[in-house]
Parts: sequence; C-alpha cells; structure tokens
Amino acid sequence: MKRMVEFTVNGEAREMAVNGCCSLLDALRDEVGLTGTKKGCDVGDCGACTVLVDGEPVNACLMLAVEAEGRAVETVEGLQPGVDRLHPLQDAFMRHGASQCGFCTPGILMMAKKLLDDNPHPSDEDIRFGLSGNICRCTGYTKIFDAIKSAAREMEATRP
Amino acid sequence: MNMTTPIEQREFKIVGKSVKRDDVLEKVTGEAQYTGDIKLPGMLHGKIKRAAIAHARIKSIDVSKALAYPGVKAVLTHETVPRVLHYGSPHPRSASCTKDQYILDHKVRFWGEGVAAVAAISEEIADEALDLIEVEYEALPGVFEPEDAVQLGAPLIHEVGPGGNLVLDPVRVNRGDIDKGFAEADFVLEGTFAGGRPHPAYMEPNVCVADWDGSNKLTFWTSTQTSFMVRGILAEVLGLPLTKVRVLVDHMGGGFGAKQDLFQHEFLCALLAKETRRPVKMEFTRHETFVAGRSRHPCKIWLKQGFKNDGTLVARDMKLVYDSGAYGSHGPGVTIVGTTAATSLYRCENVRLEGRCVYTNTPINGAFRGYGVVQSYYALDIQMDEAAERLGMDPAELKLKNVVRAGDIAPSGHPIIGHGLEICLKHGIDVLDWTTLRGRDRTPDPKRPHIRKGWGIGCEMHGSSAYPGIKEQGNATVKVNEDGTVTLLTGAAGLGTGAHTALAQIVAEELGVRFEDVGVIHGDTDVVPWDIGAFASHTTYLVGTAAKMAAEKVRAAVLARAAMKLQVSAEEIDLSEGKVFLIAEPDRSMTVSEAMGPSRGIPAANIVANGTYEPTKSYSFAAHFTEVDIDTETGIVEVKRVVPVHDVGRVIHPIAAQGQIEGGIQQGIGHTLTEDYVIDKKTGRSLNAGLVDYKMPLSMDMPDIETIILEAAPDPGGPWGAKGVGEDPIIAIGPSIANAIHDAIGVRFHHYPITPEDILKALREKGA
Repeated sequence: MKRMVEFTVNGEAREMAVNGCCSLLDALRDEVGLTGTKKGCDVGDCGACTVLVDGEPVNACLMLAVEAEGRAVETVEGLQPGVDRLHPLQDAFMRHGASQCGFCTPGILMMAKKLLDDNPHPSDEDIRFGLSGNICRCTGYTKIFDAIKSAAREMEATRP
Repeated sequence: MNMTTPIEQREFKIVGKSVKRDDVLEKVTGEAQYTGDIKLPGMLHGKIKRAAIAHARIKSIDVSKALAYPGVKAVLTHETVPRVLHYGSPHPRSASCTKDQYILDHKVRFWGEGVAAVAAISEEIADEALDLIEVEYEALPGVFEPEDAVQLGAPLIHEVGPGGNLVLDPVRVNRGDIDKGFAEADFVLEGTFAGGRPHPAYMEPNVCVADWDGSNKLTFWTSTQTSFMVRGILAEVLGLPLTKVRVLVDHMGGGFGAKQDLFQHEFLCALLAKETRRPVKMEFTRHETFVAGRSRHPCKIWLKQGFKNDGTLVARDMKLVYDSGAYGSHGPGVTIVGTTAATSLYRCENVRLEGRCVYTNTPINGAFRGYGVVQSYYALDIQMDEAAERLGMDPAELKLKNVVRAGDIAPSGHPIIGHGLEICLKHGIDVLDWTTLRGRDRTPDPKRPHIRKGWGIGCEMHGSSAYPGIKEQGNATVKVNEDGTVTLLTGAAGLGTGAHTALAQIVAEELGVRFEDVGVIHGDTDVVPWDIGAFASHTTYLVGTAAKMAAEKVRAAVLARAAMKLQVSAEEIDLSEGKVFLIAEPDRSMTVSEAMGPSRGIPAANIVANGTYEPTKSYSFAAHFTEVDIDTETGIVEVKRVVPVHDVGRVIHPIAAQGQIEGGIQQGIGHTLTEDYVIDKKTGRSLNAGLVDYKMPLSMDMPDIETIILEAAPDPGGPWGAKGVGEDPIIAIGPSIANAIHDAIGVRFHHYPITPEDILKALREKGA
C-alpha cells in the first residue's frame, strides 16, 4: 500500500507515493532522483546517507519517508549557495584533499555543516566527536579535519 | 630501473603542485555518478540466494515457487547457467591464476556462496523470492583452518589444482647457503607469527548494472578497478567477442585492491539481464560485501634468523601459509609476492623461503592493499626489533645497519635504485630526536601511572607494478584538439586516489600546456586504450609514463605544425604554458590554439599519439615512527602519534600522496588493533559481517599524523622518477605499532589484531 507523502527537499516541495517501509534514503534516491546521498550500509552504521531534517542530522536509511511528512530535508545537492558558487566546506574539501573516493563525502559535508552551524569555532575534539558517526575509509580523516577547520575560519572571516 | 637514461631535471610548472582534482568537484556537489546511482528504464533488481552451509553438494534446487511469485522475472541456478571453469582473479598475461570456479556450481564451498539468483521488479520482491527457493544439501565435512586442510585425508574442496587443498605448488626461494649462514650465526631467533583476516570495507558496496541491446551486445556498469579484465572474462565465460561487451565505470567508492576480481554476482547480473531482456541492477548489502567480497589472507608464519653479535643478519629461514578461503582468487599472486618480498627489506645473503596457499571452506580472500607483504614484513620487522633487544642495541641502529641499499637485489630480481629506506630511517631518527625519545619515561603522567607510553619503528618497501608476476602494459592516448585543448584517454580506473589528476598533470607538464586545458576521458572500454587495471601502486608510475610518452610525441607534432605556420624550423621554437615561441625571439609566438586552429590554406587539425609502456618494477620505501599509549587497566592501545617518512620518488600531487599515506595508516591501525573478519571455526559462518561488529578506526581513534614525503630515490622507471605510494603505508604501520607496544609494556606480540584482551592477558602473565 503506497501512501502520499509531502516534504521539502533543499527548499523545493516534493510530493510522492511511497510504501510504508520506504526509507527516506530510498525516497530521496529513487523518487526525488537526488543520488548524491549515498547508501553505504542501509542499517545506520556508516553515516554516508547523513542528511539534515529540520536542521538535525539524520541517517536517511533509518528514517521512513513517511516520517518526513511536512518537514524540511537538506541534502548535499542543496549545499551550494549558487550555481557557480561552492559552500566554504565544499571548497575546503577540494583544496585540502578531504575527499578521495568521495562516497562518504556527501554525508560528512552535511554533518560538518551541522557542526559549524551549531559551533562556529569547533576545537579539534569537537570536530572528531562531531564526525564520530561517519565512516571514511580512504583519508584517515586528517585532511577532513584540516578542511573543516579551514572552512570554519573562512566562514568566520566572511560572516557579516 | 627500466631505463638506463638519467632522470630529466627541469623546473616543474604543474608536477609537484596540489592542483584541484576535477573528480572531487563532482564529489562535493553530489553530482558524481557511481554505479549504484544508475537507473535505467524498465530496470529489474537482482539478488543472490546464499548458502547457509560451508561445504555441501546440492542435491536439488526447486525454484518453482520463486518463479511463480508475482514480480519475479527470472531465476537462475547451476542447472541453467553456462558451465565454464574460469579464473577468479582476471589478470591477463599471468600464469599465476588457478581456474577453479564456475558461475554457479552444484557444490557449495563456503558459507554465503551464491547458489541461485533472482531478478524481480523491486529489490524487496527479489529478496522475498530468495526465501521461496528450496535447496536440498548433502552436507560435506568442512575445513576452516589451513593446518587442517593440508592434513592427509582432509576433505578436498576442489577437484582442480595441485591437490591436497593447495591453491598452487609451494613457492620456494633459495639464495646463498642457509646452513652456512646459520653456522656463522652467533645467535638465532625463531618465532611464529599470525595475521588475522582484515577486510577492505570500501564505502561503496559492490554493484553492477547489465543491459543487452538488440545486437546481443552487453553494456555493463560495474564498480571495478579492472574494467578491461571484467570485459575479458565476461566475454570468455559468456562466449562473446570483446566487441560485444562494453564495460563502464565512472566514479567508484573505493576498492583498496579488493575490486579486482571477476565476481559471481557480475556474471549473474549479466545473465539475468540476458534472460529477461531488461536491464538488471545487482547491489551488495553491506553484509554481502563481507561474505561475498574479498578480505586479506590470514597468514601463519614461521621465521628463524641467524645474527652475528655485531648485528649482521646471516641467515633467514621462513615458511608462510596463506589461507585462500574457498577459491584461488589472488592466492597465487599474494603467495608469490608476499614470499619473495621476504628476500629483501633487511639484507641477508642466505635465504630460504617457502610459501604455501591453502583452500579452506571460508569466504574468499583476495587482493588487498599490501598484497601478501603486510603479513611477511610484519614478521620480519618485529623479529628485527627482537634481535636489537637481544643485542642491547637501539632497534633504529640495527635496522639502519641492515636495511637494503642501492644495488642490492630486490625481490623483482633487479638491483635497487637509491638508498630510499636508509634515508627515510635517518630522517625520522633526526626529526624525532629518536635517541632522546627512547630514553624518556614510559609513565610520564604521575596522575595516570596506569598509562604506559611506547615508541616503535616499522620499515617497509613495496614495488610499483606487479612485475615479475605480471608483465604489465600501460597505455595512453593524447589528443590535441583544434582549439589547443588536450584530451587524455586512459583505461586506468579512478578508485578515488586522484590518479586521473596526476595523469593530467603529467601530460600538461610534458606537453607544455596549462593543467586546466587537459581533460581526461576514462572508464569506457569501447573508447579508451586497454588498461591492465588500477592496482599494485602503479597507475602514476605505469600509465603516467605511457601518458608522458604520448605527450612527448604530440608535443613534437604541435611544434612541427607551429613551425610551419611561423615559417621557422621546429628546432628554433619551444612550447610552454600553452604558447609556442621562438627561442631566440620569445615575443614572436602563437598559442597552441592558434597552432591547431585554421589559418589561410591550413585547415584546423587534431594531433593524436599513443604511448605504450611495459615496465619492470621500482621500489618505494617507508619508515613509520609510532607512539602508543597503553591503558594497563583496560588493555586499550591508543595510537597517539605517527610520523610516517616515505620515499616515493618524484611527487606529482603532494596532497594526494599524503592522502594515500594517511588513509593507509588508518587501515593499518585497524588491522593491527581492532579489525578481524571472524569466521566460526566449527561451521564456517561469518560472525561479524557488518560495520558495527567489524571495528574500524574512525575520527575519534585517529592519531596525529605528521606525514613526511622525501623524494629520496627517484627511479627512472616512472615519470621524472615518480614511484608508487598506495600500498606502502599499510605495510609499515603494523610492525611500528607492535614494536611500540613492546616498548611500552615489554611484551612481544606476534599476531594481529592485538586486542585489549591480549594485552591484559599478557600483562597478567608477565606479572605472575
């Protein structure tokens, strides 16, 4: 039995028919057609599918699509402030080599956005703790830490 | 060591700079398309029925209920798929592979092996249909440890191969006179070592999509490091010419070596698509990446070495037994590489090595970063530390005395170029003030006397390329377009290392154009030149040289064309940063775009050239210096700081090279302390096939890493002396941790992972 569900994705209203068991992750990837959010385990262990729901980080594989009814979902595709502009985190990830295979990157970017939104001056420990639910198997995290610190500095410098 | 010509020195404009990676731009925006993101009209979903028994004969399979289930479009079993014996490891030009597998067989050889496949209109329906397939098994006795598998009368897992559950005949290496060596020794150390079963755990689960067109041509998207090998084996097993198989891979979410087999699900996906005449996607669950993926070979090692009282190593006798799991896969290659590697690292004239690889009824072990050498060097390096202890010497001093140097014969049979390892060791000793460090208090914090601190060194060397096991070939095509931009076509896979960026840098540097003007086309076997695959730390070295060769040719042709337009001779002009200019009169110039574009009487043109390179091998080196804290109350080992010192020859992209080292350290810390894919010794069942129970180091566990890259021993085999870096870090970090643990608590461990339980047990025994 499918059910209609409506929520916003990156500010755009979306309406779709989903099975009750359909995860928010599958709805985003298969129904909305935004495949930037990745499926690394589908059981909430890896963090690759991290999105923000009403501003809070969520493993999209653990949330049912119907639970997103009426809520605001943000994915990596909504991170860019403009067509030709990158979010400071995206730019810092490029410059610092924080993304290798890139499969964990969308989830880590969303988690890092939440981290910096809440805490513009994170300590090293804050960053480590903030990313503790996101598995990266390529980088050893070193360059990810560098990128987040660099983005924090840049966001601070450009904050009005 | 491939060419005798000296390495060209020049002022680099692009090489050696951390230019922005194009692939990363797509990754940070979410636009990068991975195989799992592909959705074709009418696409079905495939799933595999897996055996819940480790060794059995299939008496019968009844698929009638599954076939009748609404939404199911096809079911395949061993009775309905082609029966072709094939290689698991699809390396061409290599005799080191055992043909030992069928797509589906009437026999099950490990718990989790596929016995049937279903295609249905949704993943859920395909999954549900699996439960409707009824399989009747005749259980066979299983063997789960190599030592049991080689016993007389042990159940035979395969009918092929040398017999006795051996994957290949034992690999034997003899150098010098082992008896004479031991006779000269002042003392002998002997020990056994054991390595667990670490799993690569790349973030992107294995996935493929198959689609056949009306001309019976298969288009096949798959997350693979070796797309041309996939094409070759698919064509061979399915009875197709190579022109009827097109393999595509754009971005892939890691591989670390393990995505270079031809997997059972890949054949089944293609066959389900053929059967249904609809595209089919098959995507592993995370559980399946463990059960049906590839892990590192568990290994048991016996090592006996003779030393003189001055620290000279005079004899090395070593026996290695690798556990291949249920199929050969990379077992032969791993055994040969891991065994022959032990001829080197620390100099020894009298060496006797014997490597075996054994089938067991456990999940398949395959290629994984460090390819057999992680195991053998763990033993060599730890025993070197033990020798230092016995001699009352600083291990740094003993290692420095014995490390290989220029001219020593490498495992490949060639003389080593440069003193890479010696320079790395000396540099680390200096930077860290190692001698002072060694003298420091092991319990520096009086408030936490239960925390003991230790430092250890691990050394390694590793080849770029799989020579001599595989005679490799690298290819590149470089096109200069009519607007002066450049297209590089390469078959090298982009598994996340930044290899395509490095290749573009090499082309831009050699040709004399801007980096931004070079585009890279890859990942389509119908378009790009043949490639052996991205493995053996060789893409920059092998394909980079081929790309440089192609760029050199097009550069000459561009100069000739520009000379004609400028009405001068080609010797009078030079090309740099996209501009052709008169050497004597630099203001007289034209852009490459003007040279390639139309002018009066001369139409626009393209210039195309190929580069083909067949190297032998170069060696990279590293010494890792590692600090650990050990909580003697909990047994937890915390890696606090690592100073990895690497010689990689010429660095093409510093940040990408550092990234390889830091990521390798992360995986190696896991291997040494927390990661082990555990198989039940009674049933062969997987006990921790998931990311919660298989414990990898994450953000909270990472030490401070202060990466040092030295261009200590450039090798003329690679572009401007560049060598590999991908595998080296994972080899050096393990023994550095084990040696640091000994330094902290005085206990010697010969296995990995070294768990908190092991530490506490050892401390209790030591106390008693």
